Amino acid sequence: MSFNRTLLLGRLAVQDLWHDRIISFCIVSSLVAVIAPLLLLFGLRFGVISQLQDDLTRDPRNLEIRMLSSGSYDQAWIDALRQRPDVGFAIGQTRSLNTLADLQTDSSHFIENAEVIPTDAGDPLLGKLEILHDNEIVLTQEAARKLAVKVGDTVTLRVSRQREERREWGRKSLTVVGILAPTYFNRAALFTQPALLLMLERFRDGYAVSELGNSSGSQLNDKPPLYARARLYASDINQVASLERVLRAQRIETTSRLADIENVKSINRVLGVIFNTIAATALIGCVASLIGSFIANVDRKRKHIAVLRLLGFTGPAVGLYVILQGCLLSLLAYVGGYGIYLLASQIFNRALAGSQATDQMLCKITLQHSLFAMALTLLVALLVASIGARRAINIEPAQSLREV
Amino acid sequence: MLHIENLHVVRGEDAQAHHVYLPQLVLRPGQLVAVTGESGCGKSTLLEAIGLLLRPDHVGRFTLTDTDKEHDVASLLTTNRQADLADIRARHLGFVLQNGGLLPFLTVQDNIRLPSQLLGISPDKPLLDRVINTLKLGPLLGKYPSQLSFGERQRTAFARAIVHRPGLVLADEPTAALDPYNAQQLFSLFIDLVQQEKMMALVVCHDWPLVQKFNLPCLVARPDADSGEHAETQARRGTHFVF
Repeated sequence: MSFNRTLLLGRLAVQDLWHDRIISFCIVSSLVAVIAPLLLLFGLRFGVISQLQDDLTRDPRNLEIRMLSSGSYDQAWIDALRQRPDVGFAIGQTRSLNTLADLQTDSSHFIENAEVIPTDAGDPLLGKLEILHDNEIVLTQEAARKLAVKVGDTVTLRVSRQREERREWGRKSLTVVGILAPTYFNRAALFTQPALLLMLERFRDGYAVSELGNSSGSQLNDKPPLYARARLYASDINQVASLERVLRAQRIETTSRLADIENVKSINRVLGVIFNTIAATALIGCVASLIGSFIANVDRKRKHIAVLRLLGFTGPAVGLYVILQGCLLSLLAYVGGYGIYLLASQIFNRALAGSQATDQMLCKITLQHSLFAMALTLLVALLVASIGARRAINIEPAQSLREV
Repeated sequence: MLHIENLHVVRGEDAQAHHVYLPQLVLRPGQLVAVTGESGCGKSTLLEAIGLLLRPDHVGRFTLTDTDKEHDVASLLTTNRQADLADIRARHLGFVLQNGGLLPFLTVQDNIRLPSQLLGISPDKPLLDRVINTLKLGPLLGKYPSQLSFGERQRTAFARAIVHRPGLVLADEPTAALDPYNAQQLFSLFIDLVQQEKMMALVVCHDWPLVQKFNLPCLVARPDADSGEHAETQARRGTHFVF
């Protein structure tokens, strides 16, 4: 069929639908009644789940695997851990007692036993904050508040030890290069390069550590450092379980937020089953409604279709005419359904979202979802309209002469 | 020119079958022939067969000669080439139905132009103007069929049937629902247009006085071997159309 004839057919199909606009409106409305709730249901399912999943993946604490027991791990073990594809971040940590130090700015601003946490590039807790030298630190907001410091200020780290019944002090001046927002970590703590932690551990172990201003004690040997545990984060939430299994296989006791992750996954599964069941039922209803509407429409227009054939349109051409009308009606219904979805989703989001400031959307679908839903609507319309088209093709042009 | 020989169509099956025969029909440009006969004798069946709307059981010859080309319609019918038959229907035939057969979603103007648009051609402007003037359709061009009287619809149907300059116009009782005065007016306009434009026309018509008034040549339905004395004859009900 020529392009010109196809265009003419398209124009006739549109004119026919417009002329019969009340019937067209009824058919479109019956489809909107199915499409809009389906989009809304999917939007809710996707919105709720993606919100929970976003919260899970955005929060680095969910990626963390805490090693509960202390061990003795060399740098090679830490490096091997870092090489694993399921590991997002890993860094060696000294013994718990040696990860505490006092911080002071003046006589009225100090913190006793602040946590000293090793960090490096790619630390999920620090995000974009970066430490380039071993005298630089990032403070948590809580620590910064207690010390009344801001970025660029200097704080003094103080650590003590008991040696030969004498109390000795080590001190180091540190520059604040960043303050960590309290979202995911808000205990009084400082993040620093592992070198400082090793200094603290060696100082407490009785070695002379000149960087801490104390040269008394045993001389350091060349033995490579050993770590008691590691700060460990999986590359994504789906890797937490497998990574934990690997560590447990090495008899390392761990803890994580795996239960929360599994909870969300389970909610996703349940909502998936509910949605799929409702969607399948609605789809069957939609197909039945479409078949009824389209066949009734073809039967109603029998005489017009016979006249079109009489004038010289071929059987396949009038089949295409019916399919075009089916697709146009479905497209209109989709646009209507999507419009209603947009309105209803706004109501849902305003009524149910905890806070607009966090831009949370409980009901949402992506552009890809919308396009996929539209394609699916058209595909269903195409299949169903084909049944109507088959009936139209079988309408003989002679019927226009016989029917009055 | 239209030339048909030994056309035989069967409607229905077995004992209910009705046979329609057309031994010969030759129509020349400008010629208009009426087809008359009792209800149920097969007039519309004959029109459907000549309008390529049904496949005859037998056809000896069926040719339609255009200005420069002769179309062997018989072979297209025999081989059931529906797309080619649809094309001939679109290009060379025009139909006027008993009820007008207008598309309700198109205005009068769009209905008239539809056959030309289907062929991808612009309607012949002088012919279009002449037809619109002759059939007094000017004030009706923007109206839809539902806004027209029956006579206006039939006038529009006439216009639609001839504006794309078909060789043959087939009309099925076009004046059946009109009062005698309007029927005569419309018939007169139709005959004038067909003769002016050198088309051929075959008009099924019940109205014998109308046919006589315009002195039209007639294809008359003659029931087959009547009597019904023999079971064999009874089983073969049929009609011959003869001049």
